[in-house]
Amino acid sequence: MANDREVLREIWDGRVPVCFQLDSSEVNGLQAPDPYYLMVPRLSYFPLVTDKVRRHFQRYIHPDKHDAEMWVDFNGQPLKWHYPIGVLFDLHIPEISLPWCLTIHFDKFPEAELLHCSSREAVESYFMSCIKEADVLKHRSQVVSNMQKKDHNQLWLGLQNDKFDQFWAVNRKLMEVGSDETFKYIPFRLYQGDEPFIQRLVKPVTEEGQRKTLFQFLQEIYAENASKVKVTTHGVEPPSDTPLQWMSEHLSYPDNFLHLCVAF
Amino acid sequence: MADSADSPVETPESDKTLETQSDREIDSVPSEPPSTSGVADSPSKAKTNKIDILLKATGNAPIMKTKKWALDKDKKIGWIIDFIKKYLKLEPSESLFLYVNQAFAPAPDQIVRNIYDCYGSDGKLVLHYCKSQAWG
Repeated sequence: MANDREVLREIWDGRVPVCFQLDSSEVNGLQAPDPYYLMVPRLSYFPLVTDKVRRHFQRYIHPDKHDAEMWVDFNGQPLKWHYPIGVLFDLHIPEISLPWCLTIHFDKFPEAELLHCSSREAVESYFMSCIKEADVLKHRSQVVSNMQKKDHNQLWLGLQNDKFDQFWAVNRKLMEVGSDETFKYIPFRLYQGDEPFIQRLVKPVTEEGQRKTLFQFLQEIYAENASKVKVTTHGVEPPSDTPLQWMSEHLSYPDNFLHLCVAF
Repeated sequence: MADSADSPVETPESDKTLETQSDREIDSVPSEPPSTSGVADSPSKAKTNKIDILLKATGNAPIMKTKKWALDKDKKIGWIIDFIKKYLKLEPSESLFLYVNQAFAPAPDQIVRNIYDCYGSDGKLVLHYCKSQAWG
């Protein structure tokens, strides 16, 4: 897999330009704050990149709300902090013009739509749980459970601090397969509009032992509608003959899942 | 989400049905505990959207008298967590962790269908619950 290392690097370096603005109804006082511009990594999560955004807007809101949980919306739709930023972006591509304009809130937390995120530890435990789940699917949990605590920390710190080498030094163990081997199942999540994402048990090879392509994978999920499906991940549409195993090794997010946004 | 029009039918004694009230959202804790007696039992899982979940205590968690429950696959994991907390009469401030395959904790907004499709079989899904983090 390491042959295509430059793909991993390209994916890692993906960024989206964001313009954060404070919800005008939450401005306390006469002066409205300037918007805050930031290039954010596609592979990260909003709570990991918005500390400065919080500090920027905090002094413009009512003092009672200073310690309130911050949340983000796009066009009135609250954004789930536990989805990678790139997934949130790809899900809304048709509506987005750059920079991506997002609204910051400290009030009226949408309890029904968002999970609470009290701290970075909440992101860490969610992220690690995804990695463990992915390893259950790929290797029956063998790799992740044989790792040491420091390896787990290194994955998390690599993501948190945007350190490619640090992250991949450990992640390669999770992505390793012998030359003729594949993962047992492919960890993936399929997103379509506002629907909950779809997860299924899918093998990377056909019953005849051939490597499945992206199109064969889509046939398995969407049957005769497969040819109408448009798949986007990391802002690109992978060719339909891309092998699923290769996608899993190279296009998975740091949580080790393929996050595929589909449209018909 | 499906309407809660489950017709009452007989089930084995150990089988109870989680009351499916479709207006219950994951982040709003049910206002009253799901009743554990005289609930509309529905064994007609084949034609409905239901599976059996088997709830197993681990670590210091109290054991549930009834372990097997029929559940709508469109429910979220958080709904099960709230249900167990109500059943065990835990304080809202107490944590409860739910694990799949004794390996990972699914997000509260994960749909049971996804977990069942990947980790369940024969209409059954085993989940472990714990009052402290067990498997990370």
